[in-house]
Amino acid sequence: MEDQRLRELMREYQAGRFEAFDEIHAAIAPALRRYLLSQARDAARADDLVQETFLQMHRARHTYDSSFPLMPWSMAIARHVWLMDCRTRSRRPWAPDDVMDLELPVRAEAASLAERSEVRRALRQVSPDRRDAVIQHHLLGFSFKEIAERAGIAETAAKLRSSRGMAQLRALLKGSSK
Amino acid sequence: MSMAPDLRARLAADYQPVRALRSPWARALGVLPLGLIALVAAPLAFDVRPDASRLGWFGVWGFSLLQSAIGFLVVAAALRESIPGRGWSRGAIALWLSMPLAIIVGITMFSWQFSPVMLRREFWVVGGMCFAGSAAMALPVVALTSILAARAYPTRPAIAGALLGLGAGLMADAGWRIFCHFSEPAHVLSAHLAAVIMSTVIGTLATISVAGVTSETPAE
Repeated sequence: MEDQRLRELMREYQAGRFEAFDEIHAAIAPALRRYLLSQARDAARADDLVQETFLQMHRARHTYDSSFPLMPWSMAIARHVWLMDCRTRSRRPWAPDDVMDLELPVRAEAASLAERSEVRRALRQVSPDRRDAVIQHHLLGFSFKEIAERAGIAETAAKLRSSRGMAQLRALLKGSSK
Repeated sequence: MSMAPDLRARLAADYQPVRALRSPWARALGVLPLGLIALVAAPLAFDVRPDASRLGWFGVWGFSLLQSAIGFLVVAAALRESIPGRGWSRGAIALWLSMPLAIIVGITMFSWQFSPVMLRREFWVVGGMCFAGSAAMALPVVALTSILAARAYPTRPAIAGALLGLGAGLMADAGWRIFCHFSEPAHVLSAHLAAVIMSTVIGTLATISVAGVTSETPAE
C-alpha cells in the first residue's frame, strides 16, 4: 500500500474511524513482523511483539503527524517494544523453564480432567511468554495487573498472552486425547 | 495478515477519536511565558548587574536573549525527540548538547574580556547561591516540558529529558547572568554551568519518571 494511503488511513483512525486500523494492520503487520523476527529470532515471540506494537501504536496514535510517513513512526514504536521486551527479560526473576520445574498446585477437581504429565508436556509446547502468563494467572493466582508489572508489559497484553496460551493449551490437550 | 479478534476487541474497548499533537515547535511555544519569566525574574527581583554600563545593552540583555533563544530551540528539539520516528541522529544530539555549552563559554569569555570582575571573598557561598538560584529558576520550565514530552511517546526518554533539562537550564541562567556581575570564568563555569548541568540531570530523571507513569495509564 502506498505511503499516502497509509497516512490517510491513520488520519481517519485518529479522527474516529476504527475500521481504518484493520487496513493499517493488514498493510504494515508483515513488515513489522519481519523486523521483529529478525531481532527476536523466535516466531512466537515475534508474533507477541507485533501484537504489543499495535497496542502501543493505538496508545500513541495522537503522536502521529500525517505530514510524515507512517512507517518510520510505527518502526520506532516496534523497536521500542523490542527493547522494552529485552529489558524485561533481563530483569525477570525467573526463566519460564524454571516454572516448569516447580511442583505446580493443581486442584483436585482439575486433576481429573487431564493427566498432570500430559498438561506438563502440552505446556512445554506453548510459547514461553504465553506459558508464563498462563502459569502465573491460572496456577499461581497472580492478577493480570501483577503479571503485567512483572513482565513490564501492558495489562491488556498480559490478558492476551494468557488467553492465547490457554487456547493453545486446550488445542494441544484435545489433540493428545484423540 | 488480519488483526487477531481478541486484539481488535481490546483496541475497540477503549477506542476514542484523538486530536493529533501539534508540531514540536508549536508545542514549545507553551514554554515561552515561563522562559520569559525566568529571563526577567532575577534582574527584577535583585536589580541588573552593576557593570551593565561597561558591557552595554548587547553584552547584558543581547547575550541573555541569545542564550534564552538557544534554550528555547533545545526545548523544541527535545519535544521533537519525544515523538516516535522523529528522534535525532547521534551527531545531531551531540551538537544539541555541545552547542549550548560552547555558547555559555563564549559569553563568559566575552563578559570577562570587557568587564573582568573577580569574586575575591566567599567564593563557595556566592557560587552556591548562584547555583541554587539558577537551578531553581529552571525547575518550572523542566516540570512543564517533561510533561509535554511525556504526553508524546518518548522512546528515548533519557535523551529527550536531557535536552529539555539543558534547554530549561539555559533559559534560567540567561536571566541569572543579568543579575550576577561576577564574570570570573572560575565562578561562571563552576556555579552557573553546574546549575545548567544540574537542570539537565533533573530533566533526564523527571522525563524518565513522568514517561514511566504515563505509559502505565490506559490509552486515551
